[in-house]
Order: sequence, then C-alpha cells, then structure tokens
Amino acid sequence: MYKIVVLLIFVISLYASEYRLGEGKKIDSLPLYMGGYFSLDYRNMGNENRYRIDDLAVMGYGNYDKFSYMAEFEFKSFYVDTRKDGVSTVTKDQSLHTERVYVDYHINENYTLRAGKYSSPIGYWNLLPVNVLRQTTSNPVSTNIIFPKFTTGLQASYSTFNDGELSIDVILQHNRDLDDSYNNYKIDNHYGFNVLYGQDDYSLKLNGGYFETINASSEEDKRYYFMLSGKYDVEKYQIQAEIGFQNSSKFSATTPYAGYIQGLYRLSEQHILVARAEAYKDNVLKKKEQIGIVGYAYRPIYPVAFKAEYQLHSLSEENQMLFSVSVLF
Amino acid sequence: MKKILRQLILMVLVSLPAISSDYVVIANKEMKDFSKGQIKAIFLKKLTLVNDMNIVPINMGATNPVRLEFEKHVVKMSFSRLKSYWTKQHYLGHRPPITMKSQESVKAFVKKVDGAIGYIEANNVDDSLKILYKWSD
Repeated sequence: MYKIVVLLIFVISLYASEYRLGEGKKIDSLPLYMGGYFSLDYRNMGNENRYRIDDLAVMGYGNYDKFSYMAEFEFKSFYVDTRKDGVSTVTKDQSLHTERVYVDYHINENYTLRAGKYSSPIGYWNLLPVNVLRQTTSNPVSTNIIFPKFTTGLQASYSTFNDGELSIDVILQHNRDLDDSYNNYKIDNHYGFNVLYGQDDYSLKLNGGYFETINASSEEDKRYYFMLSGKYDVEKYQIQAEIGFQNSSKFSATTPYAGYIQGLYRLSEQHILVARAEAYKDNVLKKKEQIGIVGYAYRPIYPVAFKAEYQLHSLSEENQMLFSVSVLF
Repeated sequence: MKKILRQLILMVLVSLPAISSDYVVIANKEMKDFSKGQIKAIFLKKLTLVNDMNIVPINMGATNPVRLEFEKHVVKMSFSRLKSYWTKQHYLGHRPPITMKSQESVKAFVKKVDGAIGYIEANNVDDSLKILYKWSD
C-alpha cells in the first residue's frame, strides 16, 4: 500500500509548477523530493528481436537535521516482447520492487551510519546502475556476477577531505533481503568493505567481502570476493576499469576473473562515444567469454539519453545490437 | 611615424599593471577553517556537517563570472561536468547548493545563517566576515 501512496505523490508532483527534468520536485514544505526514471530498449541478437519497457521507477528522498533518507521502488522488465522465428512471447513483471530504502544518520563530519536496503558500494558501476546515468544500454557482466548488488542491513562510513578524498565503508547484513526478488543473489549474510581514494581527476577503489545465499547448506553457497577499480575523468574523456574474482568458502574459484575497461570520449556535451572491453570466466555458469563493445550516446539534455551499441562476443551467437531511450525525472 | 606610434603603444601596454581580480570564500566569524579540498567537498555536498552544524553552501547564478571562476579554480569542474554530476547526485539523493543572484545577497545570508559558506569578489568583503580561502584569476 505504501508503494502506491509514493507513486501517487510522485504523479501529483509532476503537475506542479517549476519542474525541470532530471532535478526532481520538492513536495511543498516537506523535507521530500520526488523523482524517477524509465527506459525502453530494443535488442537484436541473431534472429531474435526483443522490445522491452525495462525500468520504471519512482524515488523520494530528503534530509532533516542529521538525518537523510532515500526510498526507491521500481518495475523491472515491466513489459518484454521477444520475437523469434515468427513467434512472439510477451512477459510482464508488474510487481513493484523495493530497490533502495534507507536512512542515514550523520554522526559528525567524518562518520555516517546507514540502515536499510542500499546499493552495495562496490566499484563505480554498481552505484549508478540505471540506464539513463550510464553511457551504454548494457551492463558489464562482471558487475552482475561477483558480488550482491544490494545489501539490506547496516553501513558505517568514514570520510575525510584534504588534498584528496579518502572514504571507507563497512557493510553488514545478517538478515533477509528487504526484497530478495530484486537482487542478483538471494542472500541473508553479507559482510564487506570499500576503500576509496581520489584526487581531482582520478580515484581508486578496493573492495572485498563475504556473503551467504539464503539457507546456505553447502560450501558452494558461501562466497568471498575482491574487486579493484579505477577511474580517470577529465573534460574530454574518461577511462574506467573494474576487475575482481569470487571464490567459494572452500577456496574453489567460482569466478576466477571478471572485469572490464571502458573509455568515453565526449565529442561535445551532447555526443559521447564509448568503447568497452570485457572478459570473464564463470565456473558456476560454465562460461568463459571476451566481449568488445562500441557505442554512441546522444543526450539532448543530460537527463535524456538515446543510445546505440554493438557487442562483439567471443561466443559469436551472442553478438547483438542494442538501442535504448531513457529519461530521469 | 607609424613605427614610433607602435613603440609608444607597446610601452604603455608594458607599463600597465596586470589586470587581475581577487576572490574569496567567506563564512561568518564562528566558522572553523577549511582547506581548499574541504571547500570543494562542501560545494559538491560530500561534506555536509561540521561541528554539529549543517553546512549551507551558496552558489551564484549559473552564468555568473564569479561562480565560473570559483568552479574553475576551487571545484575544478566545468559547467557541463557539474550538470552531469548533479543529475547523478539527484539519483543518489543529494541536492545542489542553493543559488543567490548577487554578492550582496550572499554576504547577507552568510552573516545571518550559521554554517553558510559563499564566495564573492575580494573587494566586497567587510570585517564582519571570515575569509576561508583567497585566490586570484
């Protein structure tokens, strides 16, 4: 019921005056801003065509005194029409998932405590996982197989700023996921850390952690992971890379390696070229692959993105072309 | 005659002092000192609380020359990169700094509101304000 109320407030807020795309809308004098996003995409892979309304999300956030909060609910794969060999298959997932719901308490200028469901602060990609905020329609495979994308529990953060920025996060989950149908791993334990150091143009991140899938019965259900990430970002271009691995608790490699390196070249504020190289080996999925991606993003304004990309896979039957339109409200 | 005129113009130009402006980041007298990196973090809303007090950064209007100087020298991000930064921050639940139209408004707000931080041209500073950081273009 509360999800419907949030959705209604959002729709009403869009009728309010002084609204600008991509900035959200303040709700009267309340400490509440509303926003949302959606994406439509098309994929051609061999003789298969897929049309999809993928993301349809609403979010609300605000702050009061030392507290701030975020709530985000999303329809994922809301409508999917897959056409192959003249046969059309339509699937609809019309359940509203809880993507993020958390409260932050800012203890002082260095320490913050978070409670709720939040994006695991691992690497760069996982913190901005929505279509409109990235430059390709697709996500790197490594961001989906090494670690749980979401954590439900506590997060303690330390940050300090001088010539550079140093941030350290500790993540703790010892309970069920708030919405485990909306996570890449169904987990009830997750412990991890994040260390970030950055200066004006570059930053580096180191992540590690341990998680258990629900009712873990075998050692295969208990996994460790490590990730190393880096980003160099200047006016004209950006280079970003993440690489990691995952082991089961018996130290057999479930994912011996998975990573990507991506380069962006900003022809102008509106036109962006992108190239990405990926490689991974997953012993659970029994898959080993290299992927090369070239793409182009057109942003008439930043919160609106039209994107095209072509993926060349070492498993050539997975070569594909993707197009998407996405908007942030 | 032309040669003499050219030499005269050159001499005048060389003898003129370089035209430069000084700018300052200001707060009220009770505010603690900040490094340049901390000021950048405050205007990117990464640092929001100091000494149990919420920090309130104040921007000038989007095309104001003092703001452009501040973003170039202290934040070190162009206007277009900042636009994409704040769009991403909207998804992460953070708002950009509030905006004021004039340096007089910034001064008045900083004097009145604890935790407020703004930037103005140095020749507009008075004794009631604390200078946190100073630079020249």
